[in-house]
Amino acid sequence: MAAVSNVVRVAVGDSADVALAAGGDRQAFERLYRTHANRVFSLCTRMSGSRARGEELTQDVFVRTWEKLPQFRGESAFSTWLYRLAVNVVLNSRKSEGKHASRTDQNDVDDERWDEAARAPLHIERMDLTEAISKLPAGARKVFVLHDVEGYKHEEIAEMMGITSGGSKAQLHRARLLLREALER
Amino acid sequence: MTTLNMTCDAFDAALPDYLEGTLDASAQASVERHLNECVRCASLLRDIENIRKEAAALPNLAPSRDLWQGIEARIAAPVIPLAARPERQRRFAPTWIGIAAAALVVSTAGITYMLTARSIRSGQPASVARATLPGAALPSNTTPDSGAPQSAAAPAEGSSANTERGGTTSRPAQSDGPVRSGNSSASLVNRVVADQASSDVVYGKEIDMLQKIVSQRKTQLDSATIAIIEKNLQIIDAAIEQSRAALARDPASQLLGQQLTHALDKKVELLRTAAMLPAST
Repeated sequence: MAAVSNVVRVAVGDSADVALAAGGDRQAFERLYRTHANRVFSLCTRMSGSRARGEELTQDVFVRTWEKLPQFRGESAFSTWLYRLAVNVVLNSRKSEGKHASRTDQNDVDDERWDEAARAPLHIERMDLTEAISKLPAGARKVFVLHDVEGYKHEEIAEMMGITSGGSKAQLHRARLLLREALER
Repeated sequence: MTTLNMTCDAFDAALPDYLEGTLDASAQASVERHLNECVRCASLLRDIENIRKEAAALPNLAPSRDLWQGIEARIAAPVIPLAARPERQRRFAPTWIGIAAAALVVSTAGITYMLTARSIRSGQPASVARATLPGAALPSNTTPDSGAPQSAAAPAEGSSANTERGGTTSRPAQSDGPVRSGNSSASLVNRVVADQASSDVVYGKEIDMLQKIVSQRKTQLDSATIAIIEKNLQIIDAAIEQSRAALARDPASQLLGQQLTHALDKKVELLRTAAMLPAST
């Protein structure tokens, strides 16, 4: 019962702060940041494979949230909208930095890394799951985090990443096999 | 290993769909029969299911430092609204900014030269019908420091909606409207000079604040990007100086005032873009 009331309180607090922040109230926006920062940071860190990069991306996510907040219509929970925006910021970050010309190129790179990984197993004595995830090839890591950690469906992942649903399933299976190997199970 | 018509290879191929629950009844029964008889495949399935469970239960991570200050500095940066532009123009394009800045210098210098030469030839200041200041570009329904609530409609991509956020934003001084020409040209000149000075103070404050933010973010940005930003700032600063020098000779010139305002806008826009750039890896 206590857990339920906590959830209700968080949801009510969020919607009030969302409305205030959308009107330009920075204190309300800071409260939203404090509520969701760790979850967004976790998503950014696990998808990027780096804590330092995760911190930079978390800042980018909240700046983007501030810009986009007036467009939030409340058709989903604020947290759902925020995490989806965070996923998009992470997925678009490489493109915006101009490091890779296209997502196709990125997938090619991922495939090459996957082939290397498949031939040469990750020789690390014992690592925890978080560390093992960070060692995955980028494509497989993103799909694994989105599916097995964040709970997105293959169809949603395919849409967000610009790949097919079958491609998402294949990347997920590869990621799981690599993780099993890395965790020496 | 082969058990009841299913090999381990066939099991491996069927495993993703088995885990998704998308196998038909017959295939699922085959997989389950194989699992009952093959230790290797049963172990594989158990390990992957454990990984799935652990992944779903991973605790949230916490950043090593408070990230709010960096976020607050970036969302507080944009304060002077600029004219709406399409999204593609908002993206940072060093080449185009460089070309635009260079064009700005050339046009400013050329116009300044022509106006100054004409003024010297005629021996009279250029006539002015209206003092145009940066505040004139503000939307009519906004007031400085009002902290007025946003419109219910979402701002279009590329609009300056974010620049109008927050109750502490300051904006350039607005003109009081048309200034009558005629008897008191000295009064007019004084008025325009005073307004321009007021505008300069507002721009100066915003530029100082943005420069501090950009300076703090230098360690997060790519060195090549910083070099391009600084080079373009030098070009814009040169344009500003030329406009100021020309205005000092012809204080009542509407066109020169607009040129100065345009150059200051460009500087604010570039600094704002730099302040909002995502950090490099």
